[in-house]
Amino acid sequence: MAQFTTEVFQNEFLPDGGTDVHAIVRVTCSGAGKAGVGGGTSGGEAAEILIVDTSGSMGANGIMQGRYAATVALTEITDGTWFAIIAGNHVGTLVYPAYGATQMVRMDARTRQEAIASIQQFRADGGTAMGTWLTKAKEVFLTVPHVVQRHAILLTDGANEHETPDQLTWAIQGATGFFQCDVRGLGDRWQIDEARRIASALLGTVDLIPSPERMADEFEKLIRASMARGVASVDLRVWAPQGAQVLFVKQVAPNLEDITAKRSQVNPLTAAFPTGAWADETRDYHVAVRLPAKSIGQEQLASRVQLVVNNEVQAQALVKATWSNDEALTTRIDDQVARYTGQAELAAAIQDGLAAKAAGDDAGATRKLGRAVQIATATGDEEMTSRLKKVVEIDNAETGTVRLRKSVEKLDEMALDTASTKTRRIKK
Amino acid sequence: MSTPASTPSPASWGNCPGCGAERAADAAFCEECGHDFGGETLTPAGAAPVGANGESQTRHAPVRAQTAAEGEESPLDLGWTGPVNRGATPMIAPPSATVCAQCGTGNYLDGYCDNCGAKAPDPRDHFAEEPAAWVGGVCDIGRRHKRNEDAMALLGSSRPLAQAVLVVCDGVSNTTDSHIASLAAARAARETLDDPVPRGMGLPDAVIGTITNRLGAAVVAARAAVVATTSSPDTPAPPSCTFVAALIDEGLAVVGNVGDSRAYWLPDAPDSQPRQLSADDSFAAEQIREGMPRKDAETGPNAHAITRWLGIDSPEDLTPHTASVQLTEDGWLMLCSDGLWNYCSDAVALRDLVAGTVAGLGPAGLHPPTLAQALVDFANAQGGIDNITVALARVGPTSGQPPQATAPQAAATPPEATPPEATEPAATQPAAATEPAPAAYPPSEPTTAAGAPAPAPTSSTAADREDSPDGTVHD
Repeated sequence: MAQFTTEVFQNEFLPDGGTDVHAIVRVTCSGAGKAGVGGGTSGGEAAEILIVDTSGSMGANGIMQGRYAATVALTEITDGTWFAIIAGNHVGTLVYPAYGATQMVRMDARTRQEAIASIQQFRADGGTAMGTWLTKAKEVFLTVPHVVQRHAILLTDGANEHETPDQLTWAIQGATGFFQCDVRGLGDRWQIDEARRIASALLGTVDLIPSPERMADEFEKLIRASMARGVASVDLRVWAPQGAQVLFVKQVAPNLEDITAKRSQVNPLTAAFPTGAWADETRDYHVAVRLPAKSIGQEQLASRVQLVVNNEVQAQALVKATWSNDEALTTRIDDQVARYTGQAELAAAIQDGLAAKAAGDDAGATRKLGRAVQIATATGDEEMTSRLKKVVEIDNAETGTVRLRKSVEKLDEMALDTASTKTRRIKK
Repeated sequence: MSTPASTPSPASWGNCPGCGAERAADAAFCEECGHDFGGETLTPAGAAPVGANGESQTRHAPVRAQTAAEGEESPLDLGWTGPVNRGATPMIAPPSATVCAQCGTGNYLDGYCDNCGAKAPDPRDHFAEEPAAWVGGVCDIGRRHKRNEDAMALLGSSRPLAQAVLVVCDGVSNTTDSHIASLAAARAARETLDDPVPRGMGLPDAVIGTITNRLGAAVVAARAAVVATTSSPDTPAPPSCTFVAALIDEGLAVVGNVGDSRAYWLPDAPDSQPRQLSADDSFAAEQIREGMPRKDAETGPNAHAITRWLGIDSPEDLTPHTASVQLTEDGWLMLCSDGLWNYCSDAVALRDLVAGTVAGLGPAGLHPPTLAQALVDFANAQGGIDNITVALARVGPTSGQPPQATAPQAAATPPEATPPEATEPAATQPAAATEPAPAAYPPSEPTTAAGAPAPAPTSSTAADREDSPDGTVHD
């Protein structure tokens, strides 16, 4: 049985009239078990779908590497897991199990060999309509409705050119809350914002695979991670007192994801935010609550943050507020809150800066990316600083004075963008 | 738990104020968390502190101080008044009450309200004791401190003025765990003082001397209790506290103090002189002795620096300052921490404050815990900058507990707003209004439920009226 534990990092002291309470809630899951073999906490089974882009732009090498990556992924899927493979271009096509099958199949030695044989059918042909891929995946997952833990990997190498943005939106809405999906973009012709829309809604991650040869490693990693998630579905519940307002709830580690908009109301004072399946892992959440100010010396609870599996509370963290007139107490910002706030601002500066640059707003891009350089330098984030250096010339890192580079590798820009939401956990 | 039970059921012992676990009958400590129930006789709300059969439900065994063979009376036993009730008032907010006191809507769930988030009161933050109809007190966290480092421990005989022990200790706020140390000290002192005073030849000076020695022993016991809470001798700021105690024995009160917690004698009659009985061991007191005006000294930068305290690092000489007073006229013996006297230090001003507050409370004004609560409310209304403890022994008529479950939040009146002339009639003649109290509030009157009716509140002191009108100060 999985165990959840929580830790709270905050400065509970508010000045006279202060209203906003910020806390980092660190949640650690242990004993999660394995997905889908009945040994996991979910008690149910797991299903996995590989969605591989087979549009014309993949080319011969891309298709060959795609076949290889899918083969590696198939070997990583635990026996007993329900699975399927979808080839994606302007339509989503079920490749395995073969035409005529009535439902997904369980992984075993025979089905693995059949699946590997079937992916030889991958041909580079047609356009890209990711919405149709997601809709097909949902249709296939529905053939095993008793399976509670559903995960897909979506590989794309291009922009979603063969359906309207609305069509993609509808497909995403249809899949939201139904299955989780990690999205990987191959090369430099896919759109990060499209991939983010999918992954964000479907509780997955986005990353860049710079070249086809790297696909197999990435697929292996993703399937291993998925197979380690023994807890099928976890909700983060945030209670705030009568009259208070939850300003935001963000996952801040291992990657940044604002989940505020995913709220569903449990009762008038409690909102639930889906966090998907869990492995043995630690995630950090930044919770901000606005309270009606109380008088000096008063202490109260600002929030109860709970981890809920199957409607049962597994762990709870208490976020507090105490009003004080001692400036030594009230002016301190908790290290964790400060660092994650900085990393969130850094991510926003990078993404806004790159968006401004893409829109031709060089002044805006220079200002935002300059701010990003300044934050990365101040926080000692050398990895982000070196990524930024590939996009801007740094004149003065401390003041954030930068110039846009004349010629920038598109891949470097995309790598900077996708890396911006990966956060580094800091020690206590 | 709403009506007095004729036979206390196990459940009626309530729950541990520390962890909420059910409390076994007669348990002195919680079996779950080890909380020391000490003198807190957890009486269910609304139930009499004694059983219907007249047995005292306190920790006291039947009469234990015997100096002569059973059945024979020793001259030394003359002062023995029988078992004395310990604090018989339940902690404020009985453990069964989980409805939030702040919003009145939610329930305390995990130490906080599930509706408004308010912190559930810690029983240590505010408690009242009422061992007898004429003895009671309130110990409160105040408005500004995070912890209640004040402590209080009381005893009182059913028969007014026969015997009582009042102890107030104020934990020194910049030391570790002073809230634990102060409570341990107060209870240890109460334990030491909880014995009949041998009358010997009955000469007043001899009795005073005996009690004075007893107070010295109580200081030693209290200090030992503080030291016992000190985790290591090398603790940089070891726990420490002040000490003020009063032992009342057959109409004689002797008080002793170390530190700056105080004892006052506050007679009702406006023409009688109220007095501070204790002597502060403080920087401010030293400055006053050197001629600085009291108000300046007590509000100066080091006003609250004390020169003597109980703790592992206390000064060698801990002989308490002592004073005595014959309780021959109606009035109040008050022990308090600086949380109260910060806002009303002068004895005359304090007497006027008390008189005004008593008048404001109406029929309940002569109920010691109600008055103590009203004085705590006054200090909180002034800012509540420190923990506040007020312990009172009433000389003269008393009131029963007001019918409300909790003491009314009386509009306490600052002394200057209440001219003595205006309050005089109400303050000095409340007896007529409050006389029927014992019959009106049987659940709260230990004296009526004890099976042996106590003398009428006014009668006990009347006989002593001829005695010397004033006490003598020893130092």
